[in-house]
Amino acid sequence: MIPLSLRFAVRELRAGVRGFRIFLACLALGVGAIAAAGSTAEAFRAGLASQAAEILGGDVAVDMPLREFTPKEQTAFAALGRVSYAAASRAMAEAPSGARRLVELRGVSETYPLVGQVTLSGASSVQAALAPAGDAAGVAVEQPLLDRLGLRLGDRFLIGNVPVVARAVLLGEPDRLSRGFNLGPRVLASLAMVRGGGFLSSGIPFGETARIALKPGVSVAAARAAIKNTLPSGGWRIRDRDTAAPGYARLIDQLEYFLGFIGLASLIAGGLGVSGAVGAYLEARKTSIATLKALGADGALARNTYLIQIALLAALGVGIGLAVGAAAPLILGALVKNELPVPALFAIYPEPLARAALFGLLAAAAFSLAPLGRARTTPPAALFRQELAGRIRIGPELIGALLAAAALAWLAIATAPTKLAAAIMIGGVAGAFLVLFLIGLAAARAAGWARRLTAGPARIGLANLAGPHSAAHTAAPAIGLGVALLAAVVLIQSSLIAEVTVAAPKAAPALVFTEIPGDAAAAFDAAVARAFGRPLTPKDYQRFPIATGRIVAVRGAPIDKAKIAASGRWAYDQDISLSAIGPQPADAGVVAGRWWNAAYAGPPLVAMEESAARAARLKVGDAITLDLLGRHLDARVAVIRKVNFGSFGPDFTLILDPAALAGANLRQVAIAKGSPAEEARVTRDLGGSFPTVNVISVREQLQAAQQLFDRLTLAVRGAAAVAGLAGLLVLAGAIAAGARARAKEAATLKVLGAARWQVLAAYAVEYGAVGAIAGLAGVALGFAAAWPVVVKVFEATWSVDWAGALALIAGAAALTGAGGLIAALAALARRPAPVLRAE
Amino acid sequence: MYDASKPGAPLTLDDVWLTLPSAAGPVEILRGVDFGVEPGERVAVVGPSGSGKSTLLAIAAGLERPSKGKVRLLGKELSRLGEDGRARLRRGRVSLVFQAFHLLPNMTAEENVAAPLEIAGAPKAGATARAWLDRVGLQDRLTHYPHQLSGGEQQRVALARALACRPALLFADEPTGNLDQANAAHVADLIFELAAATEAALVLVTHDERLAARADRVVRMAGGKIAA
Repeated sequence: MIPLSLRFAVRELRAGVRGFRIFLACLALGVGAIAAAGSTAEAFRAGLASQAAEILGGDVAVDMPLREFTPKEQTAFAALGRVSYAAASRAMAEAPSGARRLVELRGVSETYPLVGQVTLSGASSVQAALAPAGDAAGVAVEQPLLDRLGLRLGDRFLIGNVPVVARAVLLGEPDRLSRGFNLGPRVLASLAMVRGGGFLSSGIPFGETARIALKPGVSVAAARAAIKNTLPSGGWRIRDRDTAAPGYARLIDQLEYFLGFIGLASLIAGGLGVSGAVGAYLEARKTSIATLKALGADGALARNTYLIQIALLAALGVGIGLAVGAAAPLILGALVKNELPVPALFAIYPEPLARAALFGLLAAAAFSLAPLGRARTTPPAALFRQELAGRIRIGPELIGALLAAAALAWLAIATAPTKLAAAIMIGGVAGAFLVLFLIGLAAARAAGWARRLTAGPARIGLANLAGPHSAAHTAAPAIGLGVALLAAVVLIQSSLIAEVTVAAPKAAPALVFTEIPGDAAAAFDAAVARAFGRPLTPKDYQRFPIATGRIVAVRGAPIDKAKIAASGRWAYDQDISLSAIGPQPADAGVVAGRWWNAAYAGPPLVAMEESAARAARLKVGDAITLDLLGRHLDARVAVIRKVNFGSFGPDFTLILDPAALAGANLRQVAIAKGSPAEEARVTRDLGGSFPTVNVISVREQLQAAQQLFDRLTLAVRGAAAVAGLAGLLVLAGAIAAGARARAKEAATLKVLGAARWQVLAAYAVEYGAVGAIAGLAGVALGFAAAWPVVVKVFEATWSVDWAGALALIAGAAALTGAGGLIAALAALARRPAPVLRAE
Repeated sequence: MYDASKPGAPLTLDDVWLTLPSAAGPVEILRGVDFGVEPGERVAVVGPSGSGKSTLLAIAAGLERPSKGKVRLLGKELSRLGEDGRARLRRGRVSLVFQAFHLLPNMTAEENVAAPLEIAGAPKAGATARAWLDRVGLQDRLTHYPHQLSGGEQQRVALARALACRPALLFADEPTGNLDQANAAHVADLIFELAAATEAALVLVTHDERLAARADRVVRMAGGKIAA
């Protein structure tokens, strides 16, 4: 037996879903965005997983920083399976013309690659490309290096002091994704060339990686155990196929959450459309509900009749969203598959679709249940008195709505990669929504007051804005939320772009020189000064000794990573750069303690960066132990300082007093600022006097960052615009819900002698005001959201894109005003007599 | 449970008042109304607009709560029942016919007539509905929706809906008010004929003195009170 409420619901639904188009669109948009984000992320995850062996370059990879593997270690690896070795370093490439460029040099053994293919142009195989030609080693290089140095394939040039010949253009390496950030074009050479050229010498920051294709029968766990037993403690890292590209895995997680968050915000903004559609539907069905009750139906039967209809429609909306969300990545993937930086397997993945469906159904419940309560509370006396509508009261529907909203928030936080950030974002959206709603209510009240001061169309517009069906508390919060998201994204991006294009070039060095021999430091200073052609001051040139070390103990106890705060763990779980400086440098940023005298020669003292110190609760006077140059050094924290990384100064995490490292003949690092011409000249001139000094162009890195931002800008703003679209859907819903009343109003105004322009003006005033309120409030909230992200999270300079912000306000007002005009034209298009007769 | 075959009035109103709030202050719609209906009795309530006729009917049927006074419907004191309790009391035993018909717009004529039977859990609701539509002359309009029917046809569907469950009490609020003369006469005939056939007591609110004259008793209202 079919329940009566289901029978009645199905009969009601035969009238079609015309009144529910906005309801369906709001749900479908949000669910579609979440499903598309999840499906895309899953496609990337599956792509990475399917090529994990290629990305890793084998079954297991062992990274060893700052030294090569010993013969004993190599023997142990060989026992596990086939092994290839690769050593990575940095060096300067120099063309016969004198043009120079830092390159990422990688030397590989003859067994490379164990898995996958190196893609080359100009040579048939890796071995052919890397074979020596006379006294020159063969190398494969990326095209930008050829372009930069004015070389062609077959040309000879120098890497460091080693002559090489460019045999092939390096198009792709199978294990490229598992390696890190690049400061220059890649050069692939033989391991023998890299070793023989001195690029793996002590003191040079290089690393060697062994990749192992395990023998049949040797498990990854067994291999890991064997490797751990072979290698001494500290420094090295083992990766396997599950952790082939952890950086990309994290990036995909974050990207999924960001895009999914925008989908969720769209669901929340569109929730007003859902709520409005349900409310308008029940308003239109008020007589039916009252009639059912007059016929003997109780509140639960009436409520369930409409609850089933809304549930079926919500399922339809979610289904449409899932279809769109599943199809969009497939289409997008087919269009741009060859341009993707990460392998992707586009397919239909049930898990992200199920998650998106759950989000959609919870949002539908959160926004539908409260208005649905009106079906239960509408009294049968509404048949006699139209003003009697069921009110939203505390009851099972409202409690259900609140529970669904709580479950929605919980789900959003539980599925986020960073729970705290997700909680802040969800809380921010909920708070912003509440603020926008209250602003809408206040605006409606203000319009009611202001209409007394006006006359004609303005008064009609303001009266409507103040009325019970005002868009000020339906469309305005929804549009405002979309504008707030867009504004936050625009302001964060504009600040970050300004940081890399304006602030950073002013503050940061233009060039960084590394691998300066300690015993030739003064000569190096002179060479740089000669190239600049002018005396150098600390404002445009500074040089510091540099060493690499690791903090191994704090207050006499070995490092326990679990006790180090995650925010500063980076300073304790890897080798870090440090320096030794005598007198207190300018902009030392001392926040606690006192710097030592230039002539200090007592027990070692150290100045420590404040976030690193805070992570281990270190205070001035505490002791730390460093593993430095092969020995342990105990030092006492004398200074805690704030370091502005990327500024023109000694931005080291640790600075020791010079006596602590006396006699160590440390390598030096230098930073310089100059014009592009001076940069080019010093890069070129150092080729003669200091060919092994690496010259890193910060300007190029900033340009690369800017290009990356430019490429991301459109995509990110496009994604954020989805939330804006949800706002417009709510506006359309509000206009549609009021269409009948508007037609009657327009007909009445025409009967009273109003001209078309007066009706249009009244609507333009009303909806323009809604858009302006939404735009202003949204941009203000966008400012509130963006500022802490820019200043506190990215520690960048706050820079406002006023043009973008004003465009958003004007765009919101113009779009909503246009919506109002369309509504007015539709109302005016109907002849007054039939409209008035219908009432 | 009220049993129409046992003695006792199916409806009594004892000193019933209704005061509604308004912007200009409280408005007294009913002012101490005493009213009752005997089993099978046909009572017409007449009076000028605003005299409280329809409100009296709404309170008597349990659609509205009085501000003061007692209403006893089918042996139950309504003030002791919540809205759902009153709805359950009406099920299958109290029916209403309205001036504006109030058919469910998304249900066919047959479904409209079957709805109260289904709500009451009556067996063979569809067959009963078809039989009643046949009795009101709408056997060829079973699958028509309300908007596909004329006003007279809609009111006949409403009448079939009201009587299909053989109620003890039928309330009719200006049932001919929206109809032309011919349809009004037809519907009036049907109301009296079918109410008699089902032995339902009838409370008929109307402006039409000729229609009222067909009742066993005429109650006149003015200013929220029963005048005679």
